[in-house]
Amino acid sequence: MSRFDKFFAGLSFRGSTPDYDPGDVIEVMVTGEEGGEVVARIGDSTLRIEDAPADAVNTRVLVAIDTWDEAGHRGTGTYRETVGKSAF
Amino acid sequence: MTDESDGNPIERTGDEPPDGAPPGGGQRDRGDPGASDRELAADGGLSAGAETDSEPRIAFYGGKWASTIPLAFFILWAIFQSGVLGIGDTNGLVIGALVGTILGMFFARGDWKTYADTIFEGMTQRVAATAIVAWLWAGMFADTLQVGGFVEGLIFAADALNVGAATFPAAAFVLCGLLATGIGTGYGATIAFVTLFFPAGVLIGANPVLLFAAILSGAVFGDNLAPVSDTTIVSAVTQDADIGGVVASRFKYAIAAAIPAFVAYLIMGSMLSGASLEGSAALRETATALGLVHLLSMGVVIATAIAGRHIVEAISWGLVVAVAFNLVFGLSSVSDILVFTVTEAGAFTSLPFVAVGETASVGGSLYSGATGFFPLIVLTLLIVSMAQIMIRGGGFAAIQEFLLNSVATNVRRAELTMVLGTATINGMITINTAAEIAIAPYIARIGEKFNINGYRRANILDANTSALGYIFPWAGGVLVGYQVMVGPEGLGAEYGPEMVVNPIEVVPYVFHGWFLVIVFLIAAVTGFGREYIPDRTSEEVSRA
Repeated sequence: MSRFDKFFAGLSFRGSTPDYDPGDVIEVMVTGEEGGEVVARIGDSTLRIEDAPADAVNTRVLVAIDTWDEAGHRGTGTYRETVGKSAF
Repeated sequence: MTDESDGNPIERTGDEPPDGAPPGGGQRDRGDPGASDRELAADGGLSAGAETDSEPRIAFYGGKWASTIPLAFFILWAIFQSGVLGIGDTNGLVIGALVGTILGMFFARGDWKTYADTIFEGMTQRVAATAIVAWLWAGMFADTLQVGGFVEGLIFAADALNVGAATFPAAAFVLCGLLATGIGTGYGATIAFVTLFFPAGVLIGANPVLLFAAILSGAVFGDNLAPVSDTTIVSAVTQDADIGGVVASRFKYAIAAAIPAFVAYLIMGSMLSGASLEGSAALRETATALGLVHLLSMGVVIATAIAGRHIVEAISWGLVVAVAFNLVFGLSSVSDILVFTVTEAGAFTSLPFVAVGETASVGGSLYSGATGFFPLIVLTLLIVSMAQIMIRGGGFAAIQEFLLNSVATNVRRAELTMVLGTATINGMITINTAAEIAIAPYIARIGEKFNINGYRRANILDANTSALGYIFPWAGGVLVGYQVMVGPEGLGAEYGPEMVVNPIEVVPYVFHGWFLVIVFLIAAVTGFGREYIPDRTSEEVSRA
C-alpha cells in the first residue's frame, strides 16, 4: 500500500458481516475453539479453520478459504501458517 | 457452519479466571488437556502469551477481584486528588500508585515474594519502555521548538492575518492544533498557548472561557494526530500497528470532528462577549515571523514518521533540524538548548554551553524537555506493574470475561464498549496517557475477538483518550492551563481576574473533544472507518 493510499484506507461504511470467496487467502486472528476445531470470528461472521495447531487460539494465521455461505456469513478454511500472535 | 454457538466468541476462548487455583497454578493441568490453552487466553494482558503458562500466579484473600485493589485504589486516589481537590500533580499520583501497590500486597496469600516479583515483571514490559523512549525524544524536540520562538511565530501569523476577537478562538484552535501536532504534547501546547496566545486573545476582546476551551480543543487535535504524541505512540504500539499507518488512518476521524468544531468556534466566537481589557500592544511585540521556520522542523518529523521510519529516528532528525534553525537564524542561543551552569568562572566558561550562575546545574531545552516527563515515566511504570498484578491475580481476565460475555456480544457493541470504556477510564484518570496504558490491553483483546484490525483499535483508543484528557476540570490538560492562570506569577496576578477561567466552565465548549467522541460513537454504530484484520495487516511496528 502506498503512503498516499494509507490516508484513504478504511474510508467507507463497513458492514458487521464481511464475506470472502473460496480461494481467498486471508490473515486472521484465531478467536476461539469449537468441537476440536478452531474458529475465527471476523466481525459477526465466522470462519471455521481446519488443520490448525492445537495452540492456535490468540495467534494470527493465514487461512485459505474453502467454502463460504454469504447468507449465513459463515465459512470454512484450511490453516496455512502461523504469522503472529495477539497484540498482548 | 450451522451451529448457532458460533455467534458467541467467548464460549470458544475459555477465558476462565483462575479463581480458586492455588499459587503456581498447578491445578489447571489435572485431567484437562485443553486447560493450558485456556490459560493463554485468560492471561489477556500485558505479558507475552506463550510465556504465561509457566509464570507464577498470585492468589488473593477475597478472590480474583482483590487483585484489582492496587489499580482501583489508585483510580480512587486520582479522582480524589484531581477531581475533588483539584490538584493536578503527577508526583501525587505516583504516591497513590505506591500506596495502592503496598495495600494490595496485604491481600496476597502465601509468600509475598511472588507479588513483589510481579511488580518487577510489570515494570519491564516493552510497552512501557517504548513509550518512555518516545517521550524523552519528543520532550527534547518540543522544548527546543519552544525556545526557538515557534509560539511567537504563530502569534505573528495571527496578527498578520488580522484575526479579530470573534475569530480568535477559531484561530487559536487551528494554531494550537498545529503546534500540538508538531511537538506531540498537548500539555506543552496548552501551556505555551495559555501563556502567550490566551492573554493576547483576551486583550483584543475574545471570550476567555471560549478561548481557553479552543486552546484545549487544539491540544486534543494534536494529541490525537501527532506522530510524536505520547498517546499516539502508546495507541500504536499497544495495538501492534505502525505509527505512520496509524496517523494516516486517523485523519478521516480527526477532520470529521475538527471541521464542525472550527465552525462551532466561529459561531460561538461571535455570540459570546469578551472581557474588557486594554494593552495588547506589548504582547504583540514578542511576535516574530522567523519562528515559523519551525513548521519545517515539524514537517521533518511528520514526514519521516509517516514514511515508516522509527519514531526515535524521526524525532532525532527533527531535533537536528530545529537546533540548526535555532542557531543559524539566531532564534536561540546554544545555552538555551543546553547549558552547564557553574558557580565560579574558570577555563570552560568561555564555551557557549557553560555559564556562571548562583547555583550549579544543568539546563536548556534538551534538559527540561526530557526531565519534564520523569514523573509520568515513573507513574507509567507503576501503573503497568499494578496491571500485571491484576493479570496474575485473575482480575484482568474476570473483567474481560464480563465485558465479552455480557456487553460486547457483537461487533457493534464491541466497538461501542471500546469507545465508552476508553472514554470512561480517561474521564476518571487525570493523566490521559496513564489511563490509555491501563485500558490498552482490553481494547486489544476485545477488538481481536472480532478481528478488528490494529489501526482501527488504535484510533478508537487514542481519540477517546485524547478527547477526555482535556474536558473535565480534573483532566491534566485543563489543570496545566489553569495553573498558568493562577500560579504565583500567573496571568491573574499580571492582568487581573478576567484572565482566570473557572475550569468547570470550559466543559461544554471543548468542541473538538466532544465531537471526536461523537464521531467514534457514530463510527461504531455505522461501521464508518471499520477495518478488519484480513482487510489490511499492520506493518511492522516502528519501535525498538
